[in-house]
Amino acid sequence: MTTISEQSLANMATAEEIEARLRVAIEQIKVAPGLMRSATSYMELIHTYIERVVTAKDQGKFVVAHGTQQPMEIFEAMGVVSIFNEFWGVISDAVKIESVPEAMAVSASIGTPTEVCSFFRSMDGLLHAGKWPQTDAFLYATSSCDNVKAFHTLGRRYNIPDYGLERPLRPWTPQAMAHWADEHRRLIVFLEELTGTKLDYDRLKEVVQLSYRLTQLTLEIEELIALTPSPMSSECFASTLVSVRLLPGTQLAIDFLEGVKAELEERVANGVAAAEPERFRIMWTAFTPFWDPTLLAFIQKNYGAVSVCEVLSGWRGEAEWLIDPDDPIASLAYRSQLAPGNCQYAPSMDWASQLVAQARKFKADGAIFNNNMGCKQGAGLGPLVRDELLRQTGVPTVTLNVDVLDHTFVSRSEIVNQLDSFFEMIEASDAYRERRSS
Amino acid sequence: MSAPAPLQALSEMQRLTSPFAESVAVKEWKASGRKVIGWINPYVPEEIIYAAGMLPFQISGDNEPVQMQGAEAYMHSNTCSYIRTAWQMKLDGKYGFLDGLVSSSFCDQDKRLYSVWEYYDSLTYMDELYAPRRRDEPGVALYQGDLVDFHDRLSKFGLRWIPDRDLANAIAIYNKGRELMARLYELRKREHPPVTGAEALEVSKAAGRLPREQFNQLMEQLLDEIETSGREIRKSKRLMVIGNDMHNTTMISELETLDALVVVDEMNCGIRYAWGQVDTDLPPMEALARYYVLGRPVDMHTWNSDGRLEFIADMAEQYKVDGIISEIVRYCTYNGWDKYDLKNQMAERGVPILDIDLEYGHPAGAQAQIRVEAFMEMLDSGAPTPVSG
Repeated sequence: MTTISEQSLANMATAEEIEARLRVAIEQIKVAPGLMRSATSYMELIHTYIERVVTAKDQGKFVVAHGTQQPMEIFEAMGVVSIFNEFWGVISDAVKIESVPEAMAVSASIGTPTEVCSFFRSMDGLLHAGKWPQTDAFLYATSSCDNVKAFHTLGRRYNIPDYGLERPLRPWTPQAMAHWADEHRRLIVFLEELTGTKLDYDRLKEVVQLSYRLTQLTLEIEELIALTPSPMSSECFASTLVSVRLLPGTQLAIDFLEGVKAELEERVANGVAAAEPERFRIMWTAFTPFWDPTLLAFIQKNYGAVSVCEVLSGWRGEAEWLIDPDDPIASLAYRSQLAPGNCQYAPSMDWASQLVAQARKFKADGAIFNNNMGCKQGAGLGPLVRDELLRQTGVPTVTLNVDVLDHTFVSRSEIVNQLDSFFEMIEASDAYRERRSS
Repeated sequence: MSAPAPLQALSEMQRLTSPFAESVAVKEWKASGRKVIGWINPYVPEEIIYAAGMLPFQISGDNEPVQMQGAEAYMHSNTCSYIRTAWQMKLDGKYGFLDGLVSSSFCDQDKRLYSVWEYYDSLTYMDELYAPRRRDEPGVALYQGDLVDFHDRLSKFGLRWIPDRDLANAIAIYNKGRELMARLYELRKREHPPVTGAEALEVSKAAGRLPREQFNQLMEQLLDEIETSGREIRKSKRLMVIGNDMHNTTMISELETLDALVVVDEMNCGIRYAWGQVDTDLPPMEALARYYVLGRPVDMHTWNSDGRLEFIADMAEQYKVDGIISEIVRYCTYNGWDKYDLKNQMAERGVPILDIDLEYGHPAGAQAQIRVEAFMEMLDSGAPTPVSG
């Protein structure tokens, strides 16, 4: 067994440490000048999410660690606490920057290749070091990517049961939709066996209704963000993403987003913009800079570059996924097809089409594609998405070669060099000048 | 000891499949007015394509390394080199003869190659299936649904409904090919196998590039030739090659310049391509679905790879392997996640394993060669393999 040094162990954050650091961060944000007031409630929301994980076993609850695109409403309805493995890496980066690189070094030391996804490498290292929260099951689905195989691999290694949902590639045929709904039912059977309790379907209906309200709220908030100038500042940019991905189906998330929406409306009414002047409207066409938590604020302050949209929080169309309030399973299955980030699982043109729609809606000036070294999805479609976006909307893209979680992979100065040139290019372009003069 | 005489039937296979990719056989096929459909990864049922009167052709590289800089304008360099190779060959005009392309969405990169091909230079017929990640009845049903739709779309493209009798006939032809290839694999269990690993790989490649009936005839001749010649390859060490599909035969032949013989593999284009039979007692679509999802040994794309690790260990035992060369194409997610457990499980069984990270289609290079030589010395010395951790 690999020996892990005391210093290495100390560098990796536990759930308790993340919770404690978030408490400190909340107090710091309360007194930090110039931030949206929702920044405090944003941090409190995340803190609550982490606190649920920390206290779960003491409260006798089951804990599942899961990948992206999961029907979390089912977990919520069953009182099962969830840990989104990708978010765990993101929040580790936010509160203790040395944690993720340390965990990934441990992962590499046991032989996991450095070319697989860092979300999973980080999890791999934390599990090996005994720093991952106590987990009763791993849950995952074909979406979004091949790395979900790690859930079974790690489950086998650490005796954690797992279940993966098989998602059809062509989701719109009646057969595919029936299959996908059945997969949800099979997941419920798995969870009922795990927890020894039956799902209360009335409770699930309630949770699904709450989740649908959350979807509507995110769309209402998007309408405000899409205004020129945009009122949404970087410190709250991930509000909708975090709400939908971490706490769907909870009143807590609804209350939070209603607060965000109210503040945005107030800012619009009072002419308060995220950046004065708003020089550039930026879309993130892969993911926002998780590895560098202050980069959004940096570009907003130094370039007047306001982040207006990103692919991972964009719903498809009007997102009317509640097709039958009395059939929550069918609704949840349908939800996946319209949910944020779903396009990661779809053909590359789906991803590109969503971005074209977002570019038009949010009046983007430029796109930033973070090419995550461990992501074969992104690497395989980055140029196509760039080309389609330019062809359809004239919006140029800069590709940053990064690691989604590891800040040591690329330096801030290298990123800034690239962004300098990019913003200069945009400002000098005819398309930009036309947009700004109209 | 001098090398044995070349096998004439194999030489004929190589003649017909050269030059790659638009070979003698492909030209003859096209000259008769028939179509060629490329397939990516082994969950595309060739039988359906063949029953449609079209030639299924495996998209791959070959024995010449491909410089992929052109492809990297369409896919970033942190994609796997198999898909970059395939796309580069397309850009170089090597696949100009294709009338269609079918992907099985075997992996993320397979999907993205398909999307790139469809976006930048779509062929007349483009289609995509889904290879289930679970080996169970719902997976079979899901895949069978895909096959039914594929059959319908291919029929429409070919302007001819593909009847069940043609499907049954194609299944019989492909079953025959599997049976013949499996016999060759059995012969490699001998103390002194009659073919090298390089020769066996050339046979597997030919199977994916020739009309199957033609391949079957040549295989019959090959097996007769082997028996008649009494051919034996005598090397002191027996190796197994596992990991990603390999189509550059020189990589195997380089290994075999040492005192070693590759006696078995666990590649999808190798032993799995020769494995088992489609059940002819079932209706064709159901039979194909069951075979492709359940009928072959567990491979790396299946989430639960326990079966894959067991299969590797089982083959290592059956073929009396002295050591395993695990060749993993850089950026392969599936193989990446099996690496740790594979190494430990083989160590527990006392089977040494050497990991080599490669670019698809490119020779291993001096660094890897040194590691292989050191591995062979270790095999000679009988030193135990450390368990990772």
